[in-house]
Amino acid sequence: MKRLAAAAVSLCLAAATAACGGNADGSAGDVFTTIDALKPGIDANAPVNPYNPKGNAFRGFNAEWLGWTKNHLTDPNQFYPGVAQSWQIPSDQSSITLKLRPDGKWSDGEPITAEDVRFSIGLAYTQGGTAYALDPSAAGTASDIKIVDDWTIKITQAAKNPSSSFVRSVMETVIVPEHVWRGVLPADFWQKLKLAQSDAPGAEVARAGITSLADKVISFAPPRDVSAGPFVLKRVNPGEALLVKNENFHNAANVAADQVRILNYTGNEQVWNYLVSGRLDSAPFTAVPAGVMRRITETPGNTIVRGYSPVSMGLAFNQSKKPYDNVHVRRALAYLIDRAQVTKVASPEGGTASVTTSGLHQEAAKAWLGEGLAAQDPYRHDPARAESELRAAGMKKVDGRWTMPDGSPWKMTINVPASFSDWLAGAKAVTSQLNDAGIDAEVVTTADYPLYLEEMAAGKYDLGFWLVALGPAPYNIFQRLYGAQNGWQLFGGRLKHVAPGTEGNWMGGAEIIDVKGVGKVNPGELAVKLNSVPEAEQRRIVSILARTANQDLPVIQLWDYVNTQVVNTTRFTGFPGDDSDALRLTSGVWLQLGMIERKGRI
Amino acid sequence: MRVIARRLAGHLVRGLAMILVVTTISFVIIRNVPGDPMRARYEKLVEQGMSPEQAERAVAVLYGFMPKGTMWEQYVDYMRGLLHLDLGQSLSVPGAEVTTLLASAATWTILPVLVGTLLSFAVGVILGVYAAIKRSSKLGDVLAVSGSLLHGLPQYVLALLLSAVFTTLLPIFPASGTADVTLEPGLNAPYIGSLIQYATLPILTYALAGYGGWILAMKSSVVTVLGDDFILAAELRGMKRGVIFRYVARNAILPLFTILALSLGLLFGGAIFIERIFTYPGLGLLLLNSITDRDYALMGGAFLLITVAIVIANIIADMLYTAIDPRVRSGQEAS
Repeated sequence: MKRLAAAAVSLCLAAATAACGGNADGSAGDVFTTIDALKPGIDANAPVNPYNPKGNAFRGFNAEWLGWTKNHLTDPNQFYPGVAQSWQIPSDQSSITLKLRPDGKWSDGEPITAEDVRFSIGLAYTQGGTAYALDPSAAGTASDIKIVDDWTIKITQAAKNPSSSFVRSVMETVIVPEHVWRGVLPADFWQKLKLAQSDAPGAEVARAGITSLADKVISFAPPRDVSAGPFVLKRVNPGEALLVKNENFHNAANVAADQVRILNYTGNEQVWNYLVSGRLDSAPFTAVPAGVMRRITETPGNTIVRGYSPVSMGLAFNQSKKPYDNVHVRRALAYLIDRAQVTKVASPEGGTASVTTSGLHQEAAKAWLGEGLAAQDPYRHDPARAESELRAAGMKKVDGRWTMPDGSPWKMTINVPASFSDWLAGAKAVTSQLNDAGIDAEVVTTADYPLYLEEMAAGKYDLGFWLVALGPAPYNIFQRLYGAQNGWQLFGGRLKHVAPGTEGNWMGGAEIIDVKGVGKVNPGELAVKLNSVPEAEQRRIVSILARTANQDLPVIQLWDYVNTQVVNTTRFTGFPGDDSDALRLTSGVWLQLGMIERKGRI
Repeated sequence: MRVIARRLAGHLVRGLAMILVVTTISFVIIRNVPGDPMRARYEKLVEQGMSPEQAERAVAVLYGFMPKGTMWEQYVDYMRGLLHLDLGQSLSVPGAEVTTLLASAATWTILPVLVGTLLSFAVGVILGVYAAIKRSSKLGDVLAVSGSLLHGLPQYVLALLLSAVFTTLLPIFPASGTADVTLEPGLNAPYIGSLIQYATLPILTYALAGYGGWILAMKSSVVTVLGDDFILAAELRGMKRGVIFRYVARNAILPLFTILALSLGLLFGGAIFIERIFTYPGLGLLLLNSITDRDYALMGGAFLLITVAIVIANIIADMLYTAIDPRVRSGQEAS
């Protein structure tokens, strides 16, 4: 009994020691505390491998890209330096010449050379990617990788099928140390790659051989972290990861934190708790209800930073289903939905009501369309106009409720995943408004996102919430409206349109649309062209596609997201301000660029 | 002794058959769970700014980790792997062995859930006896009401309540995790202390959530036993109160032992809500994440572990019952 009591007392003492030990709250020393929104659910069993979806390689901290993409409204090819110190891109984007820092070193002291970049590109080929596709007919692939000297490397784009995504794809290559990863690629890899990129006999076998290396690359577990970034992983447990400063990092003197703690989280409410208790020095965008946001801002030091987020929420139609195949019905719904009210309910802190439906976020729309934006129908809340559109579609109003043209009941169902609280709130606000206007509308939730996407792709839903305007690349933006989900499929650089209800075409829109003032438009074909044409032509195409989307309404844009982040200025200052082009980058990038400073330090 | 050995052998054969049946059923169910994890991952990558083609290729790589072949072929592969204790590779942590992930999560589940269960059992049983004996007093009422209240409160409400109070309003305990990552793991006081500190809230939640059930069950069991003839006989024979109390407790606790053994079997299922709320990386959270990620191999492994644990717990409960209840023992011997 005495022994038991002694053991209990020892354990209590140990707990007390830990509790009073000091840095459990992360406040001791120059410790920067954050979360990684790109990787919720830290897994201590995962390797330090940037190719592994759960790998303990954190972007901007111990996983380094060649360059960091700026958050620009229209140009996806602007970067902050990463492993590459500078770069040269000819106006036709036919190549990119990267210059590395001659004094650049890995965390183990080895020099970072062009050979590391070439080797990393080799690894990237096993994973695929715009610039590193093995299919010789794919757009924007690299045709030649040439080491000019120890710190210079030139990557040339295949002339056959160029793409404006090539440069960005190259710059977003993660660079790993060749001396650690060497054994992962076979000795004859580059010969195989050359063969795979050709039409010669054996090319198919070579492509299969390279693709089959993917599992090996993803599973590879380096014995320790060797980082080109400002930090190196010291330890990871299931609750958090600890990274310490990489003293060999070229800008180490200007990296304000000695240690970084990346906290694990499994749901937004944990992030809210961290923020309310003031634990986090920075937190990327998380959907936050207004009441919680109030409590977060009451915490000393917590400051809200807002900027452009190239994402909008759309209510998407399945045009294979009646009456949504009728454009008048879609327009009527656009006039009936009061987007400001919906946004107020669904995303009061992280969204702003869409000014119209163009497929573009309103900030990007201003930049792409200029005065052309004013020519778009804003679809302001207008019940009278909605009624005339419904009548134009042949819908009938019986006892104050709208019915189908043949008099049968019209029951509208909007599907959303149950776990997305803002989507659910938005859908409920929409159905409430529609019910008030005489349309029987209801929200049906789906258990989770994977199931939602599967059922949506199978064409099971009439209407569903769908993210659109995913920029900044214009092709990416319009691909959300006129891509595979609307019937346009791109295989090996060739585009084909499949029938509604087949091969994932759940939107079921028409292949050719007669656009007022423009004529017959094949929007999928135009969207693909955005990848390869010069900027002036891109502007012309974007203008046509925005008009098409505005007239034909494959979706009703409800709200445009605002990148709302929380930073705490109690321990560190110098965070990017509102509308900074660095806001979508991780705080690891802010730290490595020397933006963030320790408070009180001059 | 031969009777016990025969009984144990019978249990083991039945247990193995049960495991085989449950494994087969769960295999079929898991492989038919609807939902496309690859499409969800693709969407996530596109939302992060990746081009659709790039995201497609990145996702295509993960198909290498998906089970291949027909359902029957997958089943044969799975059962063959089971014979070698190979549960396959995880899809959500590509390249990681399912057994490694389960073993790691089990470490974080067994101790807190075991401590929580035993604590709630001990406190619940002792106070349950008191509540029964003092059932006409205010103390009895208070104990019974506390039991009913805590029994009626869902685990997740309790966890959220404790989390809000002790991590935000009075930030005494950490909100999530297992230990302070800045401390060197090992047998040193600061690290062990940190482990205890991080485990306190999950254990407390588990103990409080279980306490209500134990106290009510024990109280009801004691009240039943108090009405038995042998207690009346003991009192009439003038036996000491301590001896009578022992008679009561020993007879009243018997049904609770079965429940306790089964609870310990369920221990391997983890406590999903508690682990989710405190981001405590045990088996419950692992199972939840594996379902979200549609990680078939991991789901199968987790279900198998739970099945095996429950079957073993059942066998132990049955054997223990034989040991602690002489009536069962003598009945077997007679047969």
